[in-house]
Amino acid sequence: MSPLPISVITGFLGSGKTTLLSRLLRDPAAARTAVIVNELGEVGLDHLLVEASDEEIVLLEGGCLCCKVRGDLVRTAGDLLARRARGEAEFDRIVVETTGLADPAPILQALMTDREIADALRLESVIATVDCAAGGATLDAHPESVKQAALADRIVLTKTDLADPSALAERLRRLNPAAPQLTALHGAVDARLLFTSSAYEPRFYESHAHSDNVTSFCLRRTEPLHAVTLSLFLQLLAEHCGGKLLRLKGLVDVVECPGRPAVIHGVQHVFHPPAWLDAWPDGERSTRIVVISQGLDAGWLQDLLEILDDEVQACSIS
Amino acid sequence: MSSHRTARVGRVLSGALRLWEVSASVEQDPEGAFLVHAASGTTLRIVPGWLVFRDGHLLASHAGLAGLLRTLRQELAPDAPRGRLIIGSQSLA
Repeated sequence: MSPLPISVITGFLGSGKTTLLSRLLRDPAAARTAVIVNELGEVGLDHLLVEASDEEIVLLEGGCLCCKVRGDLVRTAGDLLARRARGEAEFDRIVVETTGLADPAPILQALMTDREIADALRLESVIATVDCAAGGATLDAHPESVKQAALADRIVLTKTDLADPSALAERLRRLNPAAPQLTALHGAVDARLLFTSSAYEPRFYESHAHSDNVTSFCLRRTEPLHAVTLSLFLQLLAEHCGGKLLRLKGLVDVVECPGRPAVIHGVQHVFHPPAWLDAWPDGERSTRIVVISQGLDAGWLQDLLEILDDEVQACSIS
Repeated sequence: MSSHRTARVGRVLSGALRLWEVSASVEQDPEGAFLVHAASGTTLRIVPGWLVFRDGHLLASHAGLAGLLRTLRQELAPDAPRGRLIIGSQSLA
């Protein structure tokens, strides 16, 4: 059975997540969607498959929140999958609406790694709502909202009738140039534009920007990398960069698999297994790794990658 | 080691120290070894290859940069956050 798509809608308090979701559920393109919400807010969701969940986020001794998001979110997703398997619920997609104050990273990591549900699900899209009326002030005052926008695959600008979105849109483009922006007046947006994903997204590789202490850049290399180099590089990032690495996504030309680019994708130190494409999707055979971070230096990472591959190359020659 | 590669290694060492928020400088001695002078008073001598010395005593030897960085962090920034790579089971496709 193919994995079921799961999307996450994040966004700060009052940014219009529930309004967006409420409208989406009326869109035929989003039919057969099950919804998991963290809290039942003022906007009611008139939908048959809404489950409430409370995230349990445990602060570990080392200060890492990432590995302990378990509890209700995962259990609720597991319950939904079990009901679907028994024929008690019919749906083709799950959408998780986070709390406004949530850091989406641990949620994504839990969905990617939890042994009870990860195999049955496929992370489809991370959607962040940003309110045009108060979004700028929110980004100034709340680091959580910056991280929500930085981690998103798509950004939905809401309340565009209340304020001119252009300045905020530009700020968000600098913050996350890889994420297409959509506008949703009173939650109205085409579901097909939100719930699409592919392992390869060309827009992701155009980014190089800086805003709100978030830097986005693309490491490039024309010579293929050894598979061991890639493994060492990811291990070093996970080991040393901590929470400064927000998201990493890339196409990698691997020496051992000529002609078949590897797609890599991680949220902080948690990664999907690489996916292998049959061919280069844009004809450009080169490694491109996009990093969205808080404080990582592009030159440092590029140097690290080159030295590691030199070392691996030297070992393979000797 | 070529000068290009030497400069690159120096930048990686300096960048790692900044990443761990260690106040330190990196320079090369006449024999080509890297000297890391930490504001705490610790000086490490790193001989390409990689051998790490403190006060003339061999502290660690590593075949690659990955191990070298681990030793540097243990010695100079033991409290810096340390992560562990996790590969989930969920496919991208």
